[in-house]
Amino acid sequence: MKSIVSKGRNVKEAIQLGLDLLKATVDDVHVEIIDQGSKGFLGIGGKPATVRLTKEQEHAQKDAFDQIEKALLEQTVDENTEKVAAFIKDQTAEVVTSQWTEGSQLEGKAWVKNGKLYGRPSATQFPIITIGKGVQVYKNDILIDKETLLITGSHEYTIRTINEEQSTRWSIEVDDQRLRVLLAITPGYRIERSIHDIEPSEHIELVAAEHRVVDNTLTYADVMDRLDNLRIKQGFHQDAILQALDTLEEHTFEIATGQKPKPGKDGWFEVLVDVDIKYNYDGNEKGRIDFKELKTIPSVDRGQIIGLVHPPVPGQPGTTVTNEPLPAKQTYPIVLNLGDGVEGVDNKVVAIKSGRPHVEKRGQLVRVSLLPKLLHRGNVDLSTGNIHFSGDVEVLGEIQNGMKVEADGDILAHSTIFSAHLVTSGAIIAKKNVVGSELSAGKNNMLIVELGHQLHLIHQQLDKMLVVIKQLMASNAFKSSDLQANGLQPLIRLLMERKFKSFSGLIKKYSDVIHGADKFLESDEWKEVAVTLNRFFLSLAPNRISLATLDELLLKINQLYEWSITPVEPNAHITVLSVQNSRLYSSGDIYVIGSGSVNTKIHAGGLLKINGIARGGDLYGKSGVEIHEVGAENSHATTFISVPADQRIRIDKVMEGTVIKIGHVKYRFDTPRHAVHAYLKDDDIAFV
Amino acid sequence: MLSYTTLEEDKLLRVDFKGDLDIEATELFQQELLKKMEEFQSVNLNLKEVPFVDSSGMGLLIELVRTLNEQEISVKISNVTEEVFEVFELLQLPEILGKDVFV
Repeated sequence: MKSIVSKGRNVKEAIQLGLDLLKATVDDVHVEIIDQGSKGFLGIGGKPATVRLTKEQEHAQKDAFDQIEKALLEQTVDENTEKVAAFIKDQTAEVVTSQWTEGSQLEGKAWVKNGKLYGRPSATQFPIITIGKGVQVYKNDILIDKETLLITGSHEYTIRTINEEQSTRWSIEVDDQRLRVLLAITPGYRIERSIHDIEPSEHIELVAAEHRVVDNTLTYADVMDRLDNLRIKQGFHQDAILQALDTLEEHTFEIATGQKPKPGKDGWFEVLVDVDIKYNYDGNEKGRIDFKELKTIPSVDRGQIIGLVHPPVPGQPGTTVTNEPLPAKQTYPIVLNLGDGVEGVDNKVVAIKSGRPHVEKRGQLVRVSLLPKLLHRGNVDLSTGNIHFSGDVEVLGEIQNGMKVEADGDILAHSTIFSAHLVTSGAIIAKKNVVGSELSAGKNNMLIVELGHQLHLIHQQLDKMLVVIKQLMASNAFKSSDLQANGLQPLIRLLMERKFKSFSGLIKKYSDVIHGADKFLESDEWKEVAVTLNRFFLSLAPNRISLATLDELLLKINQLYEWSITPVEPNAHITVLSVQNSRLYSSGDIYVIGSGSVNTKIHAGGLLKINGIARGGDLYGKSGVEIHEVGAENSHATTFISVPADQRIRIDKVMEGTVIKIGHVKYRFDTPRHAVHAYLKDDDIAFV
Repeated sequence: MLSYTTLEEDKLLRVDFKGDLDIEATELFQQELLKKMEEFQSVNLNLKEVPFVDSSGMGLLIELVRTLNEQEISVKISNVTEEVFEVFELLQLPEILGKDVFV
């Protein structure tokens, strides 16, 4: 069926023009009046009349076709220069057709039949079409890129559905160690869309029916080719590969696995004797602490074997998927440092006199010594002078009047400590009260942690500086001729001008701490690094610095830092009966086992535990705080308790005015409270 | 070896450099150029034909700009090649001398 749309000044003229174009008579065609047209006013705003003529005889088609084409080329009609608009329908491009005449109930409606869009505007209603996903509608061969469409008249509307196709995507990745090969696959698919018939309506939605077909096109040969390209030779999982070929869902398969190296074991020192002092803090059944039973001091006799040195056990190398050996992590022997009173025989450490065995471990460094012991029977006061002793110190009398006791073993004080100063790298145990004194246990370690922290900052900056220097040397426009002559100094000065402006401050700070702590440092290495840093970076005197010397310095700094963060075993600690107006500082735990603490600043690198009452002061426990009772009624003194963000504070009874701080969050108790167990939850203090 | 030509325009001195800005330029900068530049109100250093720099050369440049700025002589550095500017940026020369110095 062929139809044309023809326009004229009035219906009659429009029909006549159409018939002329079709070379047909009125009897051969079906006439449909689309628009009666209007004259307008004084020739303004007039509309041409529009009719559609449909010729129903097949044999006339070709003829008509030619005629129309010819007419379109030649003929211009009408004083309004309205062209005769003629549309030819082919079998797939569908339009308003003769079926329009089937009933007036189709007025103002649109519908879809056999995959074709029909529409028929009326005087009062334009049919509305909503275009769904994957559906395209062409108006006179122009794609409509809106979601809604009004059918306004004699246009040709074509529906096309879009099929989607996604090919199978896959990739093979090998991890850095070449121990795992992963095949990630997303199978391809095809979505086929079609339009079903839609009943005539003033508003229709063109929603396509979707049919999804998954198509995994990956082949075994594809996978094997890629594996071959990647030189993967062993550890295949054939079943996983086959699963990947069959999968209809996105998935990642491990298709080959290498053999991990088996880790070895670093050398270690096996201690054969008892070295830990045993404490009994819990007291007897009456809750009283019997100091006579508190401590058992271990000792060894001459010739006794203190411990055995075990060599490292190397690990077993593994194999990568590319069939290369993968070495196991290197294992290291211990570094044995033999102190006083011990000797090494083969792999054994033997006591050559009697005393208390002391074993200090810091990473692979093991220090074994026999600590001598000083027993001081009387008081320590102006008449005896200060005590400095490298070993354990036991004082039976009082320590008073600004006297100082320094040791590098444990200090055991049987009587009161009043206005005194006790320092040791070991533990401090005070059986009576401590008043107005300063006790520091493990101070050496605190210092090393501080220095290590500062060296770490210096290390980061120096590392960055080396990266920039290497970058510069690789730059095309950078001439390194003067570096050969004068070393890196001019360049370092330029770098510290701006980019590493803070570097000199870091070095100065480190040097200051070293300067103040000189005599507490066992090893000269800390000091040597400070001297080198000053010479290289702060000194104005000419100095030839090469990349190699900087690398060396960097390595040394890193070693010292690593050493500083390695925990010391065993940790120092402080145990006192009760304490007032004092300062306690320990790199490990602090226990106050008697009546409690008053107005004392306590800093514990481990747990702080007070069995009695804490009243006033500033208390900190790096591994948490446990106190029986805090504060006092009608007391104005604030007790301040703090722990790091990941630790907890436990108090059996807390009085008002107490402030606790966990991480950076503070909480003040305004009323007494029992069984407090505080921790940090979502940046706020919470109670269990 | 670094050489230069100058172009005087009223109170502006333009210096066109040719060659590498390196340690060998020390004398040139400190003895000749500085004195000449001090007679002008503004100075434009054209580095168009300077293909290489070294750390001493950059040190000289910084020193020169600072000395002149102290005497309230404005300094601009122009036509720096891309490669040389990369080196300047690594050392943050634009931040040291002021970003508006480079034109």
